[in-house]
Amino acid sequence: MAKQFSFLLVDDDPDDTFLFGEVLRDVASSVVLSTAANGHEALEQLRASNPLPDLIFLDLNMPRMGGVECLSTLKSNAELSRIPVIIYTTSSQSKDIEETIQKGAVCFITKPSNIKELSEILTTIVQSLPTNLEPAIQTLSKKGTHFIIC
Amino acid sequence: MLKPLNYICPSAMILIVDDKPENLFSLKTLLEINRYETDTAASGEEALKKILKNNYSLIILDVQMPGMDGYEVAETITGYSKSKDIPIIFLSAVHIDKRFITKGFASGGVDYVTKPFDPDLLLLKVKTFTRLHAQTSELNRIKATLEQKVEERTRELREMNKALETSNAELQQYAFLASHDLQEPLRKITTFSRIVWDKFLADRPGAEEYLAKIISSSERMRKLINDLLNYSRLSNDALFVSTDLNDLVKDVETDLELSIKEKGARLEVGPLPKADVIPGQMRQVFQNLLSNALKFSRQDIPPVIEIWAERVAEMKLDSAPESDGPFVRIYIRDNGIGFNEIYLDRIFTIFQRLHSRHEYEGTGIGLALVKKIVDRHNGVLGAQSAEGAGSTFTLVLPLIQVPVPPITTPHG
Repeated sequence: MAKQFSFLLVDDDPDDTFLFGEVLRDVASSVVLSTAANGHEALEQLRASNPLPDLIFLDLNMPRMGGVECLSTLKSNAELSRIPVIIYTTSSQSKDIEETIQKGAVCFITKPSNIKELSEILTTIVQSLPTNLEPAIQTLSKKGTHFIIC
Repeated sequence: MLKPLNYICPSAMILIVDDKPENLFSLKTLLEINRYETDTAASGEEALKKILKNNYSLIILDVQMPGMDGYEVAETITGYSKSKDIPIIFLSAVHIDKRFITKGFASGGVDYVTKPFDPDLLLLKVKTFTRLHAQTSELNRIKATLEQKVEERTRELREMNKALETSNAELQQYAFLASHDLQEPLRKITTFSRIVWDKFLADRPGAEEYLAKIISSSERMRKLINDLLNYSRLSNDALFVSTDLNDLVKDVETDLELSIKEKGARLEVGPLPKADVIPGQMRQVFQNLLSNALKFSRQDIPPVIEIWAERVAEMKLDSAPESDGPFVRIYIRDNGIGFNEIYLDRIFTIFQRLHSRHEYEGTGIGLALVKKIVDRHNGVLGAQSAEGAGSTFTLVLPLIQVPVPPITTPHG
C-alpha cells in the first residue's frame, strides 16, 4: 500500500487555508492535511502527533507566534527539525527570504494569487515525495513567474 | 544661559590719575566744563582700587608717578577682564616709551599726550576714545544678545527636528501597516474572482468580461499600494557605501533580462565610476529608468539604451566636464517615444502620468521615486526629450558623500 502522506499547514488566514485544502484535495486526495492557526498551535499539535507530518507549510505573519519564531523552535528540536519546512506567505521581502532560509526553511513561496499556480506547485511537491523534495524544489524555483526562492 | 552683563552701557566717566593735585584739578576742570563726568586718583594703587569698584570709559594716566608708574598701572589695568577694554591716554612730560604705543593693547585704545598739553588736542582725544569705548561696549552687548538668540533658535530647531523625526517615523509606520492591511483583502478579491472565472464562467463571455475588469482593477490597486509603500518607506537612515556602479547596472540588466529579450532591446553601458551610494536605492534608480526606457519604446523600432558617464566639476546638469572632478554625470538615453519638454516639471511628480493606463501600464510613481532617491544622494536629476525622438535622463551625483552629523541634544 502506498504510504499516505500528511502535511501540516500553519496559517491564520481561513480563506488561504480553505483554498489550500481544496487544491490539495484536487491534486492528491490521499494526502492528509492538518492545519494550525499560528505557531503556538502548530507546536502543540506536533507534540501530540504520531506520526509526525512529512512536510510543514508555514505562514509568517500570524498572531501569538509568528512563522520565524515557530521555525526557530522547530529547528531546535531534534525530532521536529527533521521535517522539511516550506515558508508559504504573502510576503515577498528579501529580508524575510534571507532570514527564513538561513533559519533552515527549505523553500520560500509567496502565495500565488491564482489557483493554477498553486496547483502546479502542490502537484510538483506531492509527486516528489518522499525522497525527491530537493530536486522538485529546484524545478519550482526555475519557474520564475512568482516568487519561489530556495 | 544669559552671559553676565558686564557690558552695560557705561556712564561716560573718566578717571584721571596723577600724583600732583594741581594737575588733577586742572584736568578735572577742563573735562567738567566740557560736560564729562570725572573721577580722580592720586596714585597707581588708588587708581586700581577705583577701577575695580567703578566703571570708567577712559583713563588719563600720568606716566611719572612715585610708587607704581603709569606703565605698570596700564599693564595691570589691561590684565583685569573688567577693564581690559578701557582706553588709556598717557600723560608724559618726556618722550613716551615706544613700547606702549606699538604694543597695541586689546582695545586698541592707547594714546599719549605730552605735557604741557594742548587742551583742544586732549579734548579731541578724549572725545574719540570715549566714543570708541561706547561703541566697543555696545558691540559686546549686541554680541551677547546674538549669542543668546542663536542658542534659543538652535534649541527650537533641535526640538522641531525631533518632532519631525517622530512624526516621520509614525507616518512610515502607518503607511506600512495600511498598505499591508489593504493588500490582504485585495488579494482575496483577485484570487476568488479568478476562481469564479475558471470554475463557473468559462463558457459565459458576458460575465467573463466584467470579471476581467474586476481582476485587472484589483491587480492595479495592488501594484499601486506596493509602489506607494516603497516610495514612503525610502529609508532615511540607510548608509552610503562606496559602490561600483557598473555592478549595479549589471544586476538590473539581469533582472530585466526577460523584458530586454522580448523587446529585442540592446543595452550599451560605458564604464561607470565607483561612488558613495545607498546600493539598494541606486539600483532602484537604474531599474526604474531602464524599465521606463524599455516600456516607452517605439512599436516598430527595437529599443537601444545607452548609459555613459563623465566626471564633472560642479553639481549642475550643465557643468563643464573635469577629468578628476568631484561629481559624476550619468546619462541614460533611449530611442523611444520621448515626451514633450513642457511636461518636464510634471514627470517627476508622484502620480502625474503622461499617458492613460490603457496606453501604457504604470502607477506614476517610478520617476518620483527616482527623484526622491537622487535628492537623498544630494544629487541633481534632469531630462531632455522630444516627442518621437527618445529621451535622455541625466543624473549628477557626488562621488564622495560626507555623512551629516545628526543634530544631537547637548548633555546637561
